[in-house]
Amino acid sequence: MLQINNICTNYGAIEALRGVNLDANDGEITCLLGPNGAGKSTLMMTIMGILSPREGTINFNGTSIVNASSGQIIDKGIALVPENRLVFPEMDVRDNLMAGAYSRLAKEKLECLADIDEMYRRFPKLKEREKQLAGTLSGGEQQMLAVARALMSKPKLLLMDEPSLGLAPLIVEEIFQIIRDLHSDGTSILLVEQNAHMALQVADRFCLLEQGRITFTGEPGQLEENELIKRAYLGSS
Amino acid sequence: MAADFIQNCLDGLMIGSAYSLLAIGFTLIFGVMRRLNLSYGPSIMLGAFLGTLVYLEFQAGNIVVALVTVLGAIAAGIYVERVCFWAIRRGAAAASMVSSFAVWMQLEEIVTVFFPERTYSFPSMIEAEPITFGPFFLAIENLIMFLSAVLLTVILHFCLYHTRFGLALRAVSENPRAAEFMGINISSIMFWAFVTASAFGGVAAYLIISTDGQVTPMFGIWATFKGLIAMMLGGMGSIPGAILGGLLLGIIETNSLWYLGVEYRDLAAYFVLFMFLVFRPGGIMGQVSVLREQAATRRV
Amino acid sequence: MIAFIALSAYLLLLVGEISFGQQAFFAISAYGSGMVTAIWSWPFWAGVLCGCILGGLSAALIALPTLRLRGLYFSIATLAFAEMVRLTFEIFRFQVEVDGEMVGPNGSDGFRNVRAVYEQNISPLDYMLIIYALLSLVLLGFIILERSRLGSIFRMVGEDPLLTEMQGLNATGYKLLAATMAGFIAGIGGALYVHLYTYVEPKIFDVMLGVHSLAYGLIGGLGTALGPLIGVAIDIGLLESIRITAGYRMIVFGGLVALLLIFRPRGILDETAVHWLRMRWRRLRNVRG
Repeated sequence: MLQINNICTNYGAIEALRGVNLDANDGEITCLLGPNGAGKSTLMMTIMGILSPREGTINFNGTSIVNASSGQIIDKGIALVPENRLVFPEMDVRDNLMAGAYSRLAKEKLECLADIDEMYRRFPKLKEREKQLAGTLSGGEQQMLAVARALMSKPKLLLMDEPSLGLAPLIVEEIFQIIRDLHSDGTSILLVEQNAHMALQVADRFCLLEQGRITFTGEPGQLEENELIKRAYLGSS
Repeated sequence: MAADFIQNCLDGLMIGSAYSLLAIGFTLIFGVMRRLNLSYGPSIMLGAFLGTLVYLEFQAGNIVVALVTVLGAIAAGIYVERVCFWAIRRGAAAASMVSSFAVWMQLEEIVTVFFPERTYSFPSMIEAEPITFGPFFLAIENLIMFLSAVLLTVILHFCLYHTRFGLALRAVSENPRAAEFMGINISSIMFWAFVTASAFGGVAAYLIISTDGQVTPMFGIWATFKGLIAMMLGGMGSIPGAILGGLLLGIIETNSLWYLGVEYRDLAAYFVLFMFLVFRPGGIMGQVSVLREQAATRRV
Repeated sequence: MIAFIALSAYLLLLVGEISFGQQAFFAISAYGSGMVTAIWSWPFWAGVLCGCILGGLSAALIALPTLRLRGLYFSIATLAFAEMVRLTFEIFRFQVEVDGEMVGPNGSDGFRNVRAVYEQNISPLDYMLIIYALLSLVLLGFIILERSRLGSIFRMVGEDPLLTEMQGLNATGYKLLAATMAGFIAGIGGALYVHLYTYVEPKIFDVMLGVHSLAYGLIGGLGTALGPLIGVAIDIGLLESIRITAGYRMIVFGGLVALLLIFRPRGILDETAVHWLRMRWRRLRNVRG
C-alpha cells in the first residue's frame, strides 16, 4: 500500500533520514520503533508532505506522493495523528473535528456533519465534551480527539506518532484498544511508538529505525524481545 | 457633571468603534503571523489617498471613493504581505517587523511624493444635524461609523465561526503545524488574512476620514498607533479584546481631552497602556492572551 | 549621534529584547544635561556626565517592571514609555531667569539656548573630535565586551534565557544591566546632541527615531557592534549620494532594507558572517606564521 524507497530528508542542516526503505501493507498495523532522534517524526512529516526529501520515492497505492502538498496527501487517503496530540486548544471539540475534515468540507459538508455524529457514537466521551475547549481536556481525551480528528478525513492509512506519549498506563490501554478496533474495521495503520512492549502486541510487522535508517524489518517474535527493547530505547552502538 | 461624562463616553464609543476596526485588523495579522505589521496604518492610508484622488480628479461619489479606499488598502496590504512576511522565513520575527517598518517608510514617502500638500479634502459622509436626546447629542457620522463597525464585526464573527475559511484561520492562529497536518495551506491563509485585515482597515480609514473631511500624510502613523494601542489594551491576539480595547481607548481619549486638555489626551492613552502592560499584560481579556503569546515567543 | 541610539538598541538586541524606546533616554539625557549647563551653569563635561547618568538611571527604573514582560509586550511597553516621555516634554515647562533671559524647557517649543559649548569656548572642530572620540570609546567598549565574559553572557541570555538560568546566572539581572548600560549610551548621544545644536525639541524623539535606530542594527548586522554603525552609514551615505532623487530616498532605502532582510534576516554582518571573517583572519595569520 505504502512504499517508501531510499528516502533522504534533511531537518534543518541535519541529515535526519539517510535512505529509509519501508513498506506498509493494506489492512495491517505496521509498527516503527526506534530511539529518540532516530528520525521517526521526520519520516512522518515527509510522508505527510510537510518536509520534502532530498532523494527517494514514496508510492501510495501506486501513485507517487513524494512532492505532493499535505492537502493533496490527505485527499489521497493518508491522515496523521501528530506527536503530542496537537489539538487546537481554543477550539471546541466539534470545531477540532471539523478541522480534521477540512479538505472534505468544500465538497461534502453534509457528509462531514454526519461523520461527526459517527465519531460521537464511537467515542461517547467526545460527545459529552462537545462544546468544551480542546485545551481543557485531559491527556487521554485529547488523544482520543486527535485520533477522531484524523479519522474525519476518511483515511485509508492512518499514521500515528507516539500515541501513548505522556499518558497514564490505564489510558494507554484504552488507546491501544482503539487501535485494535480501527484495525478490525479495516483501517491500515503505521504506528510510531516508543512503548515497544504495547506496540508489539498489536503489530503485524515492525521495523526498527536507527539513526535515519531502517535496520530491521520483521514480525513480532523474530527478534528477541530484550534485545529489541534495548535497541528501541537506546539504539545499538 | 455626570452628563458631561456620559456624553464623553458616548463620543468615545463612537470613535472607539473605528479604533476597534483598526485593532481587529492588527489582531488578524498578529494572530496568524505572530508578528506586528508596522505598515498597517500606512497601507490603509495609501488606500485613503487613492480615494481622495478619485474624488478630486474625477468628482467621484461617496460609494466609489469608499470602494477605492478599501481596494487601495488591500492592494497595499498585499504588497506588504508578500515582501515583509511571506518572503521572510518563519523564525525571523524581528526581520519581518523591521521590514514592515522599511515598507512603512516607503509607503509614506510614496504618498508625500505624489500628494505634496499638507492636507487634502475628502468627501464628507453625510451632511446632517446631530440627533439629540435628553442632554446628549450624537453626530450622525459618528453613529454611522459605529453601526458600520458593528456590522463588520458581526460579519467577521460569522465568517470566523461558520465558514471553512474562518475555521482554517482560527486553526492557523492556534497551531500552524497542526493546521498543516490537516491539509490547510498556511501561505494561502496568511494571504487571505492579510486581505481581510486590509479590508477592515480600509473601511475604518474611510469612516474616520470622511467624518473628519480631510486626510493628511500623518494618518498612517496615527492609525498604526491607535490600532496597536487598542489591540494591546484589549489583549493581544484576541478579537473580542480588540473590540473592547478600541472602545476603551475611545473613552479614555474623549474623557482625558475633556477633563485635562488636548496635550494630555495621547499621554493618558499611553499611560493607561503602560499600566496595563506592567500589571495586566493580557489586557482586558487577561490570561487568555498571555497563554497564547507563550506559544509564540521566538528568538529575535 | 544617532549612532549612539543605534548602539544602545543593539545592546538590548544582544540580550534578546527589541526596544522601540531608546530615544526616550536620549531625550532625558538631552534635557537633563541641557538644564544643568544652561540653567545652573555647570561645566560642559559635568553636564554630559549628568545626562548620561540620568539616562542610565531612568533606563534601570523602567527596566525593573518591564523586563518581566515577554518579548513583544516588552517592546510595546518601551514604545509606550518613549511616547510618554516625548509627550511629557511637550508639556513640561521649567524656565528660570538667567542673565536676564528666560532659559529652560518650554513645552513643545523645545529647549533653546543651550549655549554651554560656546560659553565655555569649545570650538566646533573640538566638538566634532569629542563626538568621534566618545563614539570610538563606546565602540572600544563594545569590542572589549564582545571578548569578555560579560559579552558572552549577554549573548547567551539573548539566545536562550532558560539555558542561562540553568547555568546559575540570573538572566533578568543581566538584562537589567544591559538596559542600564544601553540607557547610558543613548544618554551620551542625547547630551552631545543638545549641546551641539544648542536646542532640542520633543518632536525629534518620536517613534521614528527609535525604530530607525533598531533598524540600523538589524540592517548592518547583529554580529558585531560595527553593524549598527554600518546601518547608519548606509542611510547617511544614501542621503548624500542620491541628492537628485532626494525625495525618493526613503523609497529606495526602504526597498533596499526590505530586500536585504529577505536574504539576510540578521543583517549584513550577522553572526555567521562575523564568524567566517574571523576564521579567515585567523587562517591568514597562521599562514604568515
